[in-house]
Amino acid sequence: MAKERFIKTWLGDWWNILCHELKQILSDGGVLLIFFVAGLAYPLLYNVVYLNGVLSDTPIAVVDDADCPDSRRFIREIDATREVEVAARCVNMDEAKRLMRDRKVNGIVYFPRDFGERLVRNETATFSLYADMSSFLYYKNAMLATNFVMLHEIGQIQMERYTLAGMTEQEASQVIKPVGYDDNNPFNRAFNYSFFLISAILMIIIQQTMFYGMSLLVGTQRERNHSFASLPDKLAGHGMMRVVLGRGGAYWLLYLGIGMYIAFIVPAIFGIPQRGQFGDVLAMLLFFITDCVFFSMTWSTLITRRESVFLLFLAISPICLFLTGCSWPTVAFPKFWKVFSYIFPSTFGVQGYINLSSAGGDIAAASSQMNVMVLQTIIYFGTACGCVFAENWVIRHKEEIREKKEELVRKAGIDKAEDKRIIAGE
Amino acid sequence: MSNWQRILSVARRELRIIRNRPLYFMGSVGVIAFCAVFFLTFLDKGLPDNIPIGIVDNDRSSTSRAFVQQLDATQLGKVVRHESFSSAREDMTSGKIAAVCVIPEGMNEDIQAFKQPRFTFYVNGLYFVSGALAWKDLLTMVNLTNGAVQREILRAKGYNDREIMGLIRPIDIDVHQIGNATTNYSYYLCGILLPGVLEMIVILVLIYSLGAELKFGTSRHLMETSGHSIVSAIEGKLLVWTIVFSAIGFVIIMLLYHWLHFPISGSIFNMFIAMFLLVLSSEAIAIFIIELIPIPRLALSVGALYSVLGFSLSGFTLPLEAMPPYIQGLAVIFPLRHYYLFYVQEVIFGAGFAGWWKEVIYLLLFLFVPLAGLKRLKAAYIHQNFPKD
Repeated sequence: MAKERFIKTWLGDWWNILCHELKQILSDGGVLLIFFVAGLAYPLLYNVVYLNGVLSDTPIAVVDDADCPDSRRFIREIDATREVEVAARCVNMDEAKRLMRDRKVNGIVYFPRDFGERLVRNETATFSLYADMSSFLYYKNAMLATNFVMLHEIGQIQMERYTLAGMTEQEASQVIKPVGYDDNNPFNRAFNYSFFLISAILMIIIQQTMFYGMSLLVGTQRERNHSFASLPDKLAGHGMMRVVLGRGGAYWLLYLGIGMYIAFIVPAIFGIPQRGQFGDVLAMLLFFITDCVFFSMTWSTLITRRESVFLLFLAISPICLFLTGCSWPTVAFPKFWKVFSYIFPSTFGVQGYINLSSAGGDIAAASSQMNVMVLQTIIYFGTACGCVFAENWVIRHKEEIREKKEELVRKAGIDKAEDKRIIAGE
Repeated sequence: MSNWQRILSVARRELRIIRNRPLYFMGSVGVIAFCAVFFLTFLDKGLPDNIPIGIVDNDRSSTSRAFVQQLDATQLGKVVRHESFSSAREDMTSGKIAAVCVIPEGMNEDIQAFKQPRFTFYVNGLYFVSGALAWKDLLTMVNLTNGAVQREILRAKGYNDREIMGLIRPIDIDVHQIGNATTNYSYYLCGILLPGVLEMIVILVLIYSLGAELKFGTSRHLMETSGHSIVSAIEGKLLVWTIVFSAIGFVIIMLLYHWLHFPISGSIFNMFIAMFLLVLSSEAIAIFIIELIPIPRLALSVGALYSVLGFSLSGFTLPLEAMPPYIQGLAVIFPLRHYYLFYVQEVIFGAGFAGWWKEVIYLLLFLFVPLAGLKRLKAAYIHQNFPKD
């Protein structure tokens, strides 16, 4: 009987806390702004910004001092690549440099006077590429285009030279290319910038908006002399699990919707590849959201005032992006930051999402990430309960803590009354 | 009291507030210090090395072993051997390796018999940097292998080494990377990321400082202190914060271009100008936001959403010209965009005043923006008729 009653009050409490939290969320403009404007509009906005993630036709200038058929053919071929466009033909380097400074071009290709002569003499002819490093994508484009054309030209010239040396065409081709290669980039054929970045940003938006929204509410309640940990008066029982699971349930429900919108609908709208099985990605997403809920509950405890979360933790968002390893590879992380990255669900959520949804792996491709997320969930659930316990302890010992604080202030020699007079005129 | 005295008393008051609420110190100096330590140590290496590349060696000959060993010996790559393609592919899909290279069966014999065997590469372009570097490494190695085989053949035919060089490599490229000779990611990213974080901090902290007066109901006293002039009130606050933020900004510039020796072809003093203007224009944006929405929590949320976008729209990673046209126009309203253009002229090209004077004008134009809403903020300060939090 006692057991039954306990379960009944437990469920009743849990349900009431969940509803109470949902009401709190829905009646707070700031939280709604974060959840629904940031959570729903930001994924769209970022997609629009990175809509065509491939930079094409980077303008370059050409200085052709050689002025021979070979260099002219070379220039035509560079112009024909997707990556680069010959925007200017300059008479000398000074003119080209000026164009680069005015940012009319992002690279210069220079053929020295002896380029053609050296080719005729069967020697190595060298040309120069000056690349603007203000964005690495300019450099990448200029490099790719000139390298492709160079390799192609080398093949052509070698063909001529070997046939001149008395080989048949068949023999020459065998000597020139004893080993061939086929290269495939199955998941991101053109090294599209948006495919990798958007997947990471989407998952980070889930984690960060949840954390900011929850922190806003925690701060508000504390400002109003409530606490996120104390139960509404009408509740009969007291228990940490009820509070954590009840509050968590509210966010979990909301983010089930927002998360599915971000993970499935947004990529579909913008044609980001979704190669994974729906069920696999959904399973991963559920792990991730659960993890995020307890992560946010733990860390939002640090927030004492409603606004402070932005001042203190907004800069964490770009840091989280780097810690996912989608741009800077995980193998190159310094040891300390590698351990630091284990704090965030996003580190594993992003990798899992990329492996399942973008790369189309089966659930095994994200198994190690999911294992870590489960571990994180368990740990953060424990710490979230611990935070509720600590908060209740603080509430019970309010007076003592206040006295301790005042003593500290006196010791530090700060005159609160004087400060108050200057700040607020009281 | 003269106007100057009033401004000074507002500034003194602001200092008291800062001392009373540790949040101000943590939110400005604390955050930037953490971010500086993070980005500078995180990207310390400059360029990643030892990127795992999966190899499926179906040939198991001395030639294929030599290829694998040489690939392993390159700085960029580290070989992970796989028994079958399916296991290698699984590892690539789960992001453990950046690329897979399949060496075909009978490669050695096929080379000897001039049958032109083919390697097959698979690259995971979803992990961007590692994928691109692994691909580059593999291409280099195949081209070197081709060169080595050719050289053996030509030597056997009796050519001397000078002639062989001309035959194997008729054209060569000489690359000059302007402004970042070693393709160092730390130079590339930190030079904009840290000022970007500073822009974010300036906007948030100043919105909070101005909004807190409303939140705690101290705005009327602020107006009394400033002699009922909203301009003096803001000037007093700005006096304190401009000194703090500029000091932080100057430390960042010194840190990057002086102590850590990041390459800079122009002058470090001009970067001080850029940094000072970035701070001023970001302050203007912050004042404008709180004027527009004199509700602290909403203003802060808007400020947060705005400053996060600044990173993408500065165009230092994906260039602006690759974005849709209407987004390109939007980029103008972010001070970081103009700072970036200034930085390109000064740090990359060393063009000096002739290169960046336009950006100075744009950044200065931001300073007029807050004038539009001064009245509104003054009314809000006096009547306190907006929701408090």
